Amino acid sequence: MSKKLYSQIIVFAMLTVMLFTFTVGAQEQVELKFLHRWTQEPDNGFFEEVVAEYEKQNPNVKIDMQVIANDPFKEKIKIILGTENAPDVFFTWPGEFTNRFIRANQIMDLTPYMEEGWGDTFINSVVEPFKYNEKIYGAPYRLDAKVFVYNTKIFDEVGVEVPETWPEFLDVLEKIDNAGYTPIAFGNMFPWAVSHYIGQLNAKCVPYEEYMADLDPATGDFAHPGYVQALEKYAELTPYFNASANAIRHDEARANLINGQAAMMYLEIIEIPELQKTAPQEFLDNYDVFVMPDIPNGAGDQSALIGYPEGFVVAANTKHPEEAVKFLKYLTGKEVGKKEAQDLGFVNGIKNVVDKGEIPESIYSTTQLVLETERLVNWFDSSLHAEIWSVAGSELQKITDGVTTPEAAMERIRNAAEDVRAQF
Amino acid sequence: MIVLKRKKYTAYLFIVPAMLFILTFVYIPIIQNFYYSFFRMNSYSPTKTFVGLSNYLDIFQNEIFYTALINNTWYAVISLIFQVGLGLILAITLESKILGRERKFFRTIYFLPSVIAIAAVGLMFYYVYNPNLGLLNALIRIFTENDFRYAWLGHPRTAIFAIIAMSQWQFTGYIMVLLIVAIQKIPQELYEVAEIDGASSFQKALYVTIPQIKEMILVTSIITVIGAYKLFTEIFVITRGGPYDSTHVLGTFMYKTAFFYDKMGYAAAIAGIIFAITFTTSVIQIYISNRGEN
Repeated sequence: MSKKLYSQIIVFAMLTVMLFTFTVGAQEQVELKFLHRWTQEPDNGFFEEVVAEYEKQNPNVKIDMQVIANDPFKEKIKIILGTENAPDVFFTWPGEFTNRFIRANQIMDLTPYMEEGWGDTFINSVVEPFKYNEKIYGAPYRLDAKVFVYNTKIFDEVGVEVPETWPEFLDVLEKIDNAGYTPIAFGNMFPWAVSHYIGQLNAKCVPYEEYMADLDPATGDFAHPGYVQALEKYAELTPYFNASANAIRHDEARANLINGQAAMMYLEIIEIPELQKTAPQEFLDNYDVFVMPDIPNGAGDQSALIGYPEGFVVAANTKHPEEAVKFLKYLTGKEVGKKEAQDLGFVNGIKNVVDKGEIPESIYSTTQLVLETERLVNWFDSSLHAEIWSVAGSELQKITDGVTTPEAAMERIRNAAEDVRAQF
Repeated sequence: MIVLKRKKYTAYLFIVPAMLFILTFVYIPIIQNFYYSFFRMNSYSPTKTFVGLSNYLDIFQNEIFYTALINNTWYAVISLIFQVGLGLILAITLESKILGRERKFFRTIYFLPSVIAIAAVGLMFYYVYNPNLGLLNALIRIFTENDFRYAWLGHPRTAIFAIIAMSQWQFTGYIMVLLIVAIQKIPQELYEVAEIDGASSFQKALYVTIPQIKEMILVTSIITVIGAYKLFTEIFVITRGGPYDSTHVLGTFMYKTAFFYDKMGYAAAIAGIIFAITFTTSVIQIYISNRGEN
């Protein structure tokens, strides 16, 4: 071996050792993997800013942010969670969607941290959905609920008032229909849309405790007659939807609302900031909201509102639980919440996160509507076991088309629930 | 002798990396898939329960499975008629002497749809079939003067055929180009002989062209049939199996089972069935083409 080659090897070896030392040094920094589901602007940029600010405040933490779009998220999270690449802090929908991961020990119990005062910073009804078996597993990022957004100009023109009870509602719809407008814009190509109607109607037709017990896949039998009643009420609305609701996407139907062709649409309040940005001024000057009217003989809680927070959780197998919880606290805390409300128009679960006047009035007032509600009821699709929902989603589309009856549909949903119970 | 032997080993040595690669990424996963199909398991929990053949038995009792199988078969049959049948007619017409230099133009026109990403085509056809804004209904309205607003993708009886029609639009030109390549390899002398014998253009196509490209017709048929049973993207980007599970094919049914119902073992069993179907088709193809050569 030549002397030159020998010295080259030594230099190379030394460089390698140095490189390793640097890497080891760098590893003392904590790296957190953070996963959310907002690929679009302004949301993704908002998270980038939040992460940058957090890294500035905590120089020892490096946050590796990843994004997966809404629909693929539901599938990919299930794959990632089983691997070593699982994110430390990630987005989730509370309810059965999250509960299945809790049952598989994939999500960290946050109760000890919540009991140290963190829990008191949240509005109780907003953190409640993150509980499973009396323990708290997540923190709310934004509040959501479903309301009818209606065109006040059409209501005035037809001469109808906001309905408070079901018979009044049908009367209003009939009058609007006769006046030549589409009473309700509805895009149900993907049946999560109908699940929001049914979740709300179930809450009004079935006693709360019984509904909650049925949503537990181990015990749910959906035996209460209120479920059929809820489907019947829904079937009464179907003549007032635009034609071919099952062939139209939600956003396409929404275009009919903001163009003034349809009088109302059942929308999530988180869609309102988007309306503010995209709808014509003509519509923005003439809209208001109302909640699903009461069902006079419904056995459920008439004041219950369908709507649920979305939030973030910490993976059970995270290597840095303390750092992950600290980041989660920041992410769902007051400072970020204020920015979130102002930049995006979303309200998180912190008490008094914004004051009146700090955000647009329409967003503030709909948020108050949700906060004043004592009982939020989860979306029907994400609260059901996936196998029951797959049957229910199809049956609900059939009811929308009028090709099955509420009794027959409920029978199939009960059978699906029975099959699922057998697995537990 | 020793030299020869050594050479033999060297050859194997060169095969080893490729073999390992194929084993790791093709054969072992197939075997694993069959292994997993005997369990109840999901992707995010380490526990799995052995359930024997019950996944397979459940599949055969599931109505969506039969809907899917029928839809795949429709796709295969219609694709054979249009992509291979019509593609063949187009190929022969474009290569005949009727057309001059403009044949290149038509070849490109017919081929073009197949280079567009399926997701883009899917979105485009979603709007073509749209009840209110759609091109198709607008065309029908011109001729019927009715307020025709049929939701092609909203009705279980038409949705799957609407999607199949989209695939015909997209891939007929692709199969056509494959057939054209085969036609161009036919020696000109055969046509000259046929002309001397007084054969018409139709007879030349029937007795010279088609027998000469028999192999390619068979290959394209097999590609089409196997493609029909592996179908996924077209359905997934347009309807995702709806309305009420009427447009599911085996691929989307498998996907939904795996990632939506969290039943990985069950999905593996569906994958096993898809494998059995495509594998059998391939074996038949190889058998027929071998017999043809002999």
